[in-house]
Amino acid sequence: MAGLYDRYSGVVYGVALRVLANTTAAEDVVQEIFLQLWRNPQAFDAKRGRLAPWLAVIARNRAIDHLRKRPMEDDIDELPISTGVDLESDSAQKLAIEKVRTVLAQLPPDQRKALEMAYFEGMTHTEIAGKTGDPLGTVKTRIRTGLLALRKAFA
Amino acid sequence: MNGHPQYAESLALYALGALDNPKELAELEAHLGTCGDCRRELEALRADAALLAFSAVGPKPPERARQRLLNAIAAEPRAERRKGRPVVVGRLRSRWLSFAPIAVMLLLAVFSLLLGLNVRNVQRELRHARERESQLHDQLAEAQHAQEVLAMLTDPSAMRVKLVSIPQARPQPLIQTIYKPENGHILMMADNLAPLPANKVYELWLLPANGHAPMPAGTFKPDANGAGMMWHPMETAGIDAKGFAVTIEQDPGSQTPTPPIVMAPAG
Repeated sequence: MAGLYDRYSGVVYGVALRVLANTTAAEDVVQEIFLQLWRNPQAFDAKRGRLAPWLAVIARNRAIDHLRKRPMEDDIDELPISTGVDLESDSAQKLAIEKVRTVLAQLPPDQRKALEMAYFEGMTHTEIAGKTGDPLGTVKTRIRTGLLALRKAFA
Repeated sequence: MNGHPQYAESLALYALGALDNPKELAELEAHLGTCGDCRRELEALRADAALLAFSAVGPKPPERARQRLLNAIAAEPRAERRKGRPVVVGRLRSRWLSFAPIAVMLLLAVFSLLLGLNVRNVQRELRHARERESQLHDQLAEAQHAQEVLAMLTDPSAMRVKLVSIPQARPQPLIQTIYKPENGHILMMADNLAPLPANKVYELWLLPANGHAPMPAGTFKPDANGAGMMWHPMETAGIDAKGFAVTIEQDPGSQTPTPPIVMAPAG
């Protein structure tokens, strides 16, 4: 577990910190996720995805739960994630991080903002529309287009 | 889009947990139940979202977070596991897996001859194969052990005993034991214990219900915060206990308790 932690804690912590903007709360998320992974390693099914993106998604979901003060579930979520992107080695991760940041920087600001509000602030599309004053349909389109831009960059 | 275009935007929102219109949500989930293409598209969208998460990767958690985790998962010292009845992990492994390193070695040897590979490369691959097998071995052992601990924690039939310090001290040291006589397994969680000199350990004693002499039930050392966890299998299953007690013994522990008893059942 120490090896797994050394390799992947940066992924979990970085995502949790981005969502929660609080180091103590982010550390709590790291603790919860690795403890649950230790208790139930079968929750991660290697056949259904890679560990790094899976942990990133779990970290985001847990951090949003913290943010919204939602109760934790006992088990780590079972989320199938199919990605062909290599995110396991340090060098591959660094490349991916740079690439994602570049793609995000190149998105139209409204599109990037909608994506970030949904993903890192855990807002629903209705909440985003309410906050930005944009029509619901526009918010939906921005979010999907933003996600597809990321997919295209890694295709 | 490899699914149905009419659900494309809802699926993207759904992948982020951002779809909050109950009607749309119900309709989409009903559709996902019957449409493999849309389920696959959802997985792909989640992967796209995972990439988005990577934009936040960078800061590393402080060292204290690592130590906190390791303390929490240290249910028992590894040395303790080797004593008494160890956790058997071999049974979990498929027979063929035991031969995996040999098979890998043979295959690599043949390939190295055929392809003229450098012998050093073969050795490196072998080392990696052994490391992978070793990691798998560790993970299986941890998984089996974790299941055992969780089962004990949730077993309503297990015997639970709280131990408090003698004499009273502040903050109040507290030990909780969970015992399954059927298989002789003991789970112990300690809080607020006083630190010990390097050559001393706390030793837990099972007090048999038939009045026989106390039986050694594992040794442990608290961490810097006075906390500790231990999982211990008794040599013999089926012993009824009337309680537990704790003494301080010379490391690595004793077969008979050395007075005084520092922790005894509460009440």
